[in-house]
Amino acid sequence: MINYLVRRLLALVPVTLGVATLTFAIIHLVPGDPVVAMLGETAAPADIVGMRHQLGLDRPLLVQYAAYLGGLAVGDLGESISYRKPVSRLVAERFPATIELAAAGMLVALLLAFPLGIIAGSNPGGAGDLGAMGFAIVGISIPHIYLGPLLMILFSLDLRWLPLTGRGGLLHLVLPAVTLGTALAAILARMLRQSLIRVRESDYMRTALSKGLSARAALVRHGLKNALTSVVTIIGLQMGGLLSGTLITEIIFSWPGIGRLLISAIGARDYPVVEGCVLTFAMTYVIVNMATDFIYAIVDPRVRIS
Amino acid sequence: MCESLALILLLSRQSGITRNGVLTVWISENTARLRLVAQIAAALVALAGCGHYRTDRSPGTIQVDIETSPASTDPRFATDATSSRINELIFDSLVKTDRNGQFVGHLADRIERPSPTEIVFHLKHGVRFSDGRELTARDIIFTYDSIRAPESMSAKRAGLEELKSIDAPDDYTVVMTTAHPYAPALELATEGIVPAGTPLPSKGTAAAPVGSGPFQMVGYARDEAAWLERNPYSSYPPGAPRSILLKIVPDPTVRALELAEGVCDFSGNNIEYDVLPWLGSHRFLEVSRTPGTTYKYLSFNFRDPRLRDLRVRRAIAYAIDRNTIVNTILRGTGRVATGMLSPENWAYEGNVTTYSYDLSKARQLLDQAGYAAGSNGMRGLRFEYKTTPEGARLGEVFQAMLQRVGIELTIRTLDFATYYADIQAGSFNLTSLQWVGINDPNSYYMVFDSQKTPPHGQNRGYYSNPAMDRLVESGMSTVDPAARKKIYGQVQQLAAEELPYVSLWWVDNVAVMNRRLVGFDAYPNGSFRSLAAVTLSGPGGGGEPSD
Repeated sequence: MINYLVRRLLALVPVTLGVATLTFAIIHLVPGDPVVAMLGETAAPADIVGMRHQLGLDRPLLVQYAAYLGGLAVGDLGESISYRKPVSRLVAERFPATIELAAAGMLVALLLAFPLGIIAGSNPGGAGDLGAMGFAIVGISIPHIYLGPLLMILFSLDLRWLPLTGRGGLLHLVLPAVTLGTALAAILARMLRQSLIRVRESDYMRTALSKGLSARAALVRHGLKNALTSVVTIIGLQMGGLLSGTLITEIIFSWPGIGRLLISAIGARDYPVVEGCVLTFAMTYVIVNMATDFIYAIVDPRVRIS
Repeated sequence: MCESLALILLLSRQSGITRNGVLTVWISENTARLRLVAQIAAALVALAGCGHYRTDRSPGTIQVDIETSPASTDPRFATDATSSRINELIFDSLVKTDRNGQFVGHLADRIERPSPTEIVFHLKHGVRFSDGRELTARDIIFTYDSIRAPESMSAKRAGLEELKSIDAPDDYTVVMTTAHPYAPALELATEGIVPAGTPLPSKGTAAAPVGSGPFQMVGYARDEAAWLERNPYSSYPPGAPRSILLKIVPDPTVRALELAEGVCDFSGNNIEYDVLPWLGSHRFLEVSRTPGTTYKYLSFNFRDPRLRDLRVRRAIAYAIDRNTIVNTILRGTGRVATGMLSPENWAYEGNVTTYSYDLSKARQLLDQAGYAAGSNGMRGLRFEYKTTPEGARLGEVFQAMLQRVGIELTIRTLDFATYYADIQAGSFNLTSLQWVGINDPNSYYMVFDSQKTPPHGQNRGYYSNPAMDRLVESGMSTVDPAARKKIYGQVQQLAAEELPYVSLWWVDNVAVMNRRLVGFDAYPNGSFRSLAAVTLSGPGGGGEPSD
């Protein structure tokens, strides 16, 4: 178990290196000048040159890359060009908001997916199945950018139950979390339905039935737990989608998270912030998947971590 | 809300879903737990008010939604429109522009121009920064010196190149001397003043320096909001807002929703045209449209030999139906433009060559230029139109309109930073941009003088005409206003003849505001300045008036 954990943690090193290299290459290769974005078009050419020198952007790309990796090795993500703050501090300030949103989105997804998946999987082809899968199709099809304002109109404007935007108490979290979690709920519900249909035909289900359990009780007590294994895997894999969904959701709901920081940094060509944010997203994804593997072992006793 | 919750529970109990599905088993086994969950949910709702959600807004506060964070909260560095509008509320300058774009004294009580290279400003007495210090000539000298210092690397340094010296003979007199006779010298006097000794923005500093304007910035969280409160040493009318929350809301739909919900009190020039009628249908909202000075244009790249041909440029001008675009896409919130200066500007000349929509003239000009139409109606003229996602819709309209005369337009949509880099590098055939906040006609020098190509200026299309150079350079050095107006009349006619730009429209200032804001006076340049002077009506109105 410990060996496995150490191996997985060591695997983070090449992943970090790969993500850092790719992000560095992409953001430096696309056109756009952070100095012009910062000083403006009317700045004197000499000042643009001076600022570029001050920021070290006039050095050869390989030298900049080596400096970036050197910093990364000691946990230094560099300094933001536009905010003039250490990137690690910026990320630390914004990351809790993103995690809060992502966790709430996941919770919404699970709260929606389980009843829908069970309803659909317990009686395939029935009215419940059609309704639940209809919801799933709609949930997958509606993009965040459309769903968010729709929810705002209904729950903030018409019913006035929930605040429109911003981060505050629990109420502020509801609409962004539903916006973020709906698509994932739809995917998970479909997955759970398929798994339930599959396990209904398995030997242990027949054994349970032959021992006198009712169909419903057998499904709830034995089928559901076995069906969960594939769903747990999907939860881990979908974490990437959930995190990328925070980018749009944070913009829509003026949520002060890392996604919004990343979008504004891309616009300003704030290289260190872009690199820091992407790296944070990537690391979160990898760590969540590691955690998923452990949860997988808990849910399915046949799986042993070794 | 309570009724809705009860209704949801009732419906779920009666539905076939709960009676027939496996959930019935679970529900029957967990009735007590469910009841607890319902009770917790009800308690949470009760905590939230068990009715309508209410926004917390202290009395006398107004919320203004803006689309982006200000690039800098220090007026010595801010060049973007958002920063300028916010800074106008916090900092005073020697002069400011009036509704017609003319400079009038602000901190200066009286202005003298003893020679073409010298301006003397006599300052008002008793003006105080929000920390209580009196504003004197020393603060003004300090502000200008700190911008001009090479280590500042301020984007404003280049704009002050004409300023040879700035001196303070006494605490209430400032003398500016320019290197040459410089007609738009008063533009040099528009910098927001900070107290002497204010350090340059350093690492991690976010809050704005203190100013002597009607408000002070008491908090700022980038990408979230800026909080302004009244400068305690600045007077304001009874019922005027005591504080302003400038909330950064990047999504245009959400800005509209915040207005409709009554959360936001004011949104200026950042609401999509399509939702204006809907917002206008709310009784508590007022949609105000006033003529604006923002100038939208189509720019040509003169390094492309096909576009150096005046007949091709004119054909394009004739092929674009600007009236239709203004009336449909812009929903009437613009005026078809004749040039960069709007009719509100003192130097405006309306009697210039115009290009009303005329397809036959456009086709005729293209034939004359040697681009005959083929069997499919196209003329083998293919141009690349670069734009941002926000401008793609307009690009598609141009594409359809130019196709009618046989010109093919390929649209390339890029993110703003990439687009901007391409435009600066001259990597485009056609593009459309806008100039915001044009006051002095000397702007023509920056955009049409042949020496002002990037990175030295904003002649991004590489337009070059010695006659234009002579005119704009002469306009810059002619101090006499009457003679200057005549020169800029010629500049406007030449620009209309030569078409370095196709003038599209002047964008109206569209402000959507809550009717509790009374007395907002819209400036043609979209300034927020009069937010300081509005009064609040109804409950939760303005703060206590100051002395």
